[in-house]
Amino acid sequence: MKAAIQTDKLSKWYGNILGLSEVSLEVRPGITGLLGPNGAGKSTLMKILTGQLRPSLGRALIWGEKIWNNFRLFNRIGYCPEHDSFYEQTTGWQFLTGLLRLFPFSPAEAAGRAERALATVELLSDKDRLIRGYSRGMRQRLKVAQALAHDPDLLILDEPLNGLDPLGKRRIIRLIKDLKNDNKTVLLSSHVLPEVEALTRDIILIHQGKILASGDIHELRDLIDSHPHIIALRCDRPRELAARLVREPFILKVQLGGQPDSLIVETDNRDRFFSLLPELVMDMGLAVDEITSPDDNLQAVFDYLVGK
Amino acid sequence: MTIREKGYHHWDGQFLERRHPWWPITRLGIRLTFKRKFFKFIFSSSLLPAVVFLAGIYISERLEDFRGMARIESLLLNISAKYFGAYLTADFLLFMAVIILVFCAAGLVADDLKHNTLQLYFARPLRKRDYLLGKASVVFFFLFLLTLVPGLLLVIFKLIFSGSFRLLRENPWLPLAVLAYSVLFTLFLTAYALLLSSLSRNGRAVSLLIFGVYLFSDMLFNILYGIFHSPYLGLLSMRTNLKLLAVPLFGLKPPLGLPWGYSAGLLAAVVALAAVVLVKKVKGVSVIR
Repeated sequence: MKAAIQTDKLSKWYGNILGLSEVSLEVRPGITGLLGPNGAGKSTLMKILTGQLRPSLGRALIWGEKIWNNFRLFNRIGYCPEHDSFYEQTTGWQFLTGLLRLFPFSPAEAAGRAERALATVELLSDKDRLIRGYSRGMRQRLKVAQALAHDPDLLILDEPLNGLDPLGKRRIIRLIKDLKNDNKTVLLSSHVLPEVEALTRDIILIHQGKILASGDIHELRDLIDSHPHIIALRCDRPRELAARLVREPFILKVQLGGQPDSLIVETDNRDRFFSLLPELVMDMGLAVDEITSPDDNLQAVFDYLVGK
Repeated sequence: MTIREKGYHHWDGQFLERRHPWWPITRLGIRLTFKRKFFKFIFSSSLLPAVVFLAGIYISERLEDFRGMARIESLLLNISAKYFGAYLTADFLLFMAVIILVFCAAGLVADDLKHNTLQLYFARPLRKRDYLLGKASVVFFFLFLLTLVPGLLLVIFKLIFSGSFRLLRENPWLPLAVLAYSVLFTLFLTAYALLLSSLSRNGRAVSLLIFGVYLFSDMLFNILYGIFHSPYLGLLSMRTNLKLLAVPLFGLKPPLGLPWGYSAGLLAAVVALAAVVLVKKVKGVSVIR
């Protein structure tokens, strides 16, 4: 299967600041999540892939074609930038049709496509409102609409779920999942792991301009399991539960928390912990109010991977 | 079945290309300019000189009906190539052109920089030159409506009112001169406005710059000329330089006796500088260091 995106030792620096360092990757059709904390190099990579930045070194290809100065390639690419890029004094409809007219579409076809795209992101009823009156979520949906409207084969979505309410997030997630079924290639960036997890198992982890890991999300989870996981619990008898847990070999540390009903557990095998916990709850008759994983976020994953 | 199992079907289609990719940018720019407050009034006012000059042509051909005005005949009603030059180099016309630039051109690039719109433009099948041509065409549109269109209409009305082609027989190059001056005038002002527009993200600051540089160049010339009395100080004035461009085209008397070539060179240098700066400043992303 041919990769839609290929980069080979791609590097980009801004003066003394390194944006990307020898990034070699392949993105195949389907959804791929590009993950990394703020400033990791996600946007730099996306801007190179959308032809807005020229690599300092290395090569970036889309469908085997060079990207820089290959403006025809963008007939088939949709890009949703991270930040707002609107003329505030235009309506959503004018904005979208104006952008569509940059493609070789007739006015009627552009209007039809704009209508379909706005309907897809559920903005059709607000199409004649000025963008300056749009809420943050509406703006985000409009950005997604402009990326989709020309029916591209490759979508590059930079933080597409930012600023959306839970319902809006669910809609966009559903929409992106539908794109996968149309054999499209979607590369989307996010620094929020659960959002990406809801969309795809294929992930590229980037940090400080370097690719830390890429592949199936379960492989990544296995990698995380090589480090202790922190699990916080709130129950009625935390001391008794702590005493029982320390007997287990996969429990590395148990600490009573700041609250009288809280307990913090460190384990190197989260799966075994979570299979044991229901048994203990039943056997001991515990009332568990809350279970959270304070280190279950991307930043924590990165901290482990970079050896902090 | 997942996508991976489906495999990727290689796309065999052809990349289509829009014939005039700059046109949607121009159209949007014109539409947004007309939406601005007071612009329609300002633009209509800027056509006032054309109406006055048209009246002059009419009166010149109907002198019998306007005997009372015969005293100013030699001053106003001697319609020659200079008459059309006088229209195109009128101070009021340049003033209104600058006001129109403030409305239509100040935000052309500045707003795109402010709203990060360039990244959306350049993530589409659009070259930098298409983008710049689209933006420049917005200014061309308004300034041609102020110079070229009325200039040519005045020639046509002169022919209609006089009922003869004598004007063209005596000045066969006149329509070309009107075209050439309108193009040069518009080209310079477009480059000037887009250059300033690309220097800031703040459209209002650019508006002030566009008007300020025009005004200041003239004030500086007047002050320094008052002190040093050197005609070459006229090269500091945008108004004088543009008037000098019309000298060889309409056979006008050069202001301050300056050679027109100097002004042509100076204005060409500004256009070249604008082109270099625009190519450098207009890019999809701005890099924060």
